[in-house]
Amino acid sequence: MQVNRRKFGALLCVLLATAAVAGTAVASHTSKTPGVSKHQIVIGGTFPYSGPAALYKTIPSAELAYYAYVNAKGGVFHRKIKDLTLNDEYNPAETVPAVKKLVEQKHVFAIVGSLGTAPGLATWKYLNQRHVPQVLLATGDAYWGKCVHRACPGAGSTSPKPWTMGWQPDYPGEARLYAKYILKHKPNAKIGVLYQDDAYGKNYLNGLKSGLGSHKSQIVDAQSYSVTDSGPVVGSHVVHIAGSGADVFVIFATPSAAIAALVTEGQIPNWHPLTFNNNVSANRIFMQLAASKGANPNGVISTTYIESQTAQPNLAGMKLAKKIIHKYAPALDDQFASGDNNLVYGLAVGWTFVDALRHAGKHPTRKSLMHALRTMTEKNNPFIYPGMSVKTSKKDTFPMEQLIFEKWGGGAGGDWKTFGKVLNSGH
Amino acid sequence: MERAETSPIAGLRARGGAIDGGSAAVVLLLIGAAIFLLVGCLRSTAFAQYTVQGLALGSVYGALALALVLIYRATHVINFAQGELAMLTTYIAWWLMEKGLSYWAAFAATLVIAFVLGTLLEVTLIRPVQHSVIAVVIVTVGLFILIDGIVNWVWGGDFKFMQSPFGNASFDVGGVAIRHQDVGMVIVVFASVVLVWALFRFTKLGLGMRAAALRPAAAALVGVRVDSMLAIGWGLAAVLGAVAGLMAEPSQIFLSPTLMQPILVYAFAAAVLGGLESPAGALVGGLLIGVSLTLIVGYVPQKYIGAELQLPLAFAVLLLILLVKPSGLFGRREVRRV
Amino acid sequence: MKKQIPALVSLLVVAAVLCVLPFVLSDYNVSLAAQVGIFFVAVLGLNILTGYTGQISIGHGAFMAIGGYTTAVMSRDHHTNLVVTMLMAFAICFVVGLIVGLPALRFSGVYLALVTFALAVSIPNIPNQYSTFLGGVGGVTSSEEVSNLWIYVAAWSCSALLFLVAWLILRGRVGRAFRAIRDSEIAAVASGVELPVYKTLAFGISAAYAGVAGSLFVLATNGFAQPSEFGVFLSLQLLIGAAIAGLGSLWGVLAGAAFVGLLPQVSTSVPVIGAEHGRDVIFGAAVILVMLLLPDGFAGLVARLRRLARA
Repeated sequence: MQVNRRKFGALLCVLLATAAVAGTAVASHTSKTPGVSKHQIVIGGTFPYSGPAALYKTIPSAELAYYAYVNAKGGVFHRKIKDLTLNDEYNPAETVPAVKKLVEQKHVFAIVGSLGTAPGLATWKYLNQRHVPQVLLATGDAYWGKCVHRACPGAGSTSPKPWTMGWQPDYPGEARLYAKYILKHKPNAKIGVLYQDDAYGKNYLNGLKSGLGSHKSQIVDAQSYSVTDSGPVVGSHVVHIAGSGADVFVIFATPSAAIAALVTEGQIPNWHPLTFNNNVSANRIFMQLAASKGANPNGVISTTYIESQTAQPNLAGMKLAKKIIHKYAPALDDQFASGDNNLVYGLAVGWTFVDALRHAGKHPTRKSLMHALRTMTEKNNPFIYPGMSVKTSKKDTFPMEQLIFEKWGGGAGGDWKTFGKVLNSGH
Repeated sequence: MERAETSPIAGLRARGGAIDGGSAAVVLLLIGAAIFLLVGCLRSTAFAQYTVQGLALGSVYGALALALVLIYRATHVINFAQGELAMLTTYIAWWLMEKGLSYWAAFAATLVIAFVLGTLLEVTLIRPVQHSVIAVVIVTVGLFILIDGIVNWVWGGDFKFMQSPFGNASFDVGGVAIRHQDVGMVIVVFASVVLVWALFRFTKLGLGMRAAALRPAAAALVGVRVDSMLAIGWGLAAVLGAVAGLMAEPSQIFLSPTLMQPILVYAFAAAVLGGLESPAGALVGGLLIGVSLTLIVGYVPQKYIGAELQLPLAFAVLLLILLVKPSGLFGRREVRRV
Repeated sequence: MKKQIPALVSLLVVAAVLCVLPFVLSDYNVSLAAQVGIFFVAVLGLNILTGYTGQISIGHGAFMAIGGYTTAVMSRDHHTNLVVTMLMAFAICFVVGLIVGLPALRFSGVYLALVTFALAVSIPNIPNQYSTFLGGVGGVTSSEEVSNLWIYVAAWSCSALLFLVAWLILRGRVGRAFRAIRDSEIAAVASGVELPVYKTLAFGISAAYAGVAGSLFVLATNGFAQPSEFGVFLSLQLLIGAAIAGLGSLWGVLAGAAFVGLLPQVSTSVPVIGAEHGRDVIFGAAVILVMLLLPDGFAGLVARLRRLARA
């Protein structure tokens, strides 16, 4: 009899738990437009707060600070923005349940700013099927701007994705600019490439090849590495590239690997190639970290599209950024001062979102938000590089398509200095 | 290889000095490998550079493997959280340096803290469940997850900068870069190996620890405080782990919560390769694994064996050793009598 | 017969609750309940290995990977019916499990844990190397997508079916052999149990179950099979679930599956630690606590309560 009683007790617990869960499910009502209420707009996003890409976590921190700033001034049409950021550790297996939670349990208005190509690839179909905006993604994969209104099965995009949009200049465009630079300044170069072996890295490599055109055979060594590889393993690839006789070294790597590559490069005797570092890893603090461990950063070339608080501190946008960070994310003051421009990136994205939200009207719907985002002409974003703009139209699905070159000078305590004109990296 | 023993402890003492018959073959094998490497280095700069990198990497594996060997020898437990514990103590060292301590002062303080932490963990978490192998495994697994979460929570998952103890310069030996920090690291790890070996071979404490692990009941009868031995074993292993973490940090470029994760499996493979009870084996195993994997990845074209396959290869090595010679290169065969 | 009535009652009760749940829960919570079902299948299988046969494996995530990739690849390339792919996953993983079980014979206890741990860590890298067929880091996507309800029904139907299969296996000669091995390998051999056969069989069965769970897992992840989904953490979750289950009664496996399936999701809502780190801290602490309190798992708790009741 004891056995039965215990089992009935357990059954009771199960029933109670079920009731509780059902109760909370019923309690959360869905308004007509999910996430929009009289005084609030709820959005969400997935970011790597821990794991291999954790150094990007300052991006959502900056976005949250920007929304706090906007909310303090009354919000958008009297609605305060609430941003639910979840940690997916750059792992698509965690992104999917997190996104499901945001959409099905938290009923967010839109998914804004999520970081990562692979996480995005795992969720865009789900979000497009449910007509949930998946916008201002923090990844430059060209995938987000291609086959948007119409599917193109040949390119692997089996359905259209009108609800998905990127923001930053795309990777192939950036790589094409590097190719043009090499052909112009070092036409007989032997090129060595280190790239991450996923969609992000391959996107960059293919862009470089297409930019080189008939000269792509000048790539004498292309080494891939995995995002989970440790520093020394990445280093051994660099040793290989050095051994191939390359005199141009192109790094298409996420920060930890890029830093390891630069450090190893600095240690190989008698090898001083012209080095390019992709802009996702060109953050000032990364370069300084690499230099402090033995890299030689002088002369490394990259590109940028946002302002730098250390190289251009007197621009109005940078002064505003300093104020916002100081007031709404004071724990990041030091980080800001040492030049972490992920913070500026986050502020810039927040600005674009709020701008689009305003254009979505007094009673925004998901559709009106997408319409606003797809017809943007944003020339006065204070955080992006002077002279650049964020533009979209029905035909133009890439919001930012401009870059400017920069070169590092000043050694371990130095900084980037832009040179040349604002260039078009578009299609 | 069983000797007639008048007491289990005397038997242990005797076994401590015995030379296994198979070890002559092992020594020959190692000498052959060393000659191969030397010849290769002299003939090709790239080969030499790979070898140097492989040795540096291997000594990091060996350092963590040493901690694993110590814990296994003292408590017959595999601590899956050893890497994360090493990472935690490295963060503590970093934190002390941020508070103003010099590198070596922080280093010393961290070793003490690690010892205390290790003994505390053994007493609170492992002792209550030590009767069940699977419970101990699960607890160390839970610890692995918990420590990772705590470090991310307290210090954040981004990169931290730590000064290198030996500086960033390298020796240029005929076109091959040998970093000062790699040389320093190998010396430190080697010294640790010698110290651990001496502990087990010459000291009463070491003897007590080995007895407590092998025959706890008999050891208790002879007056060994078994519980204390186990706790001390964990403490010392934590100290070795701290050394491993601090030595690994410069080669991993920066400090982050994932510091030891790429190293853990290789450390396991190194420990098993060398023999789970042999400190010297841990280092040798680590060096062998480091060098062979680096050479393979460097020379075999990427489409056949890319860096991706390093881990599966290490796993294959582990499997092979356990099948062919489970006691590893320097271990003794254990015979179970029923 | 008398002993079986309470067991039958609890089975019927659980079945009834499961039938009612989809009508009562929101769609999001149905997806959570489906997750528990997926882990139920995997933990059930692993429990046969750890609880009944006493072998430790920290590598069953690898078998989930094989099962999951089977479903994704067959669906992408041949548009195979999803249920058929699950059957294929079962069969393939059974065979692979037998193959893995063979060398595993030589190891026991912590050595086996070590080897399987290394297996769990290295298997996800293999699709990265052979990216043309296995999709590399980007993974393989199945051609069909299914709803939360489909996965719920599929997961719990498989659970019911495989529970029945496990029950049939374990009540017979095979089950007795397993238990004999767990209690004392030496005694088992002395009594005539052919160790290699049964140990390998236990591996094969548990791998097959993990394979089916892997198929469901991939379908629940929007049809994506990517290496990063099958990392070490997954294998750890399975082992923890099996340990909590203890000797694998229905309730034990249910408790284990619910623990590893729900706790990571729920712990992201914890206030102080916050969504970013809640999972690891809470989950890790909970695992340790549960093991300290219930070293023999749920079954140990049951046994203890029974002893208390009789005293």
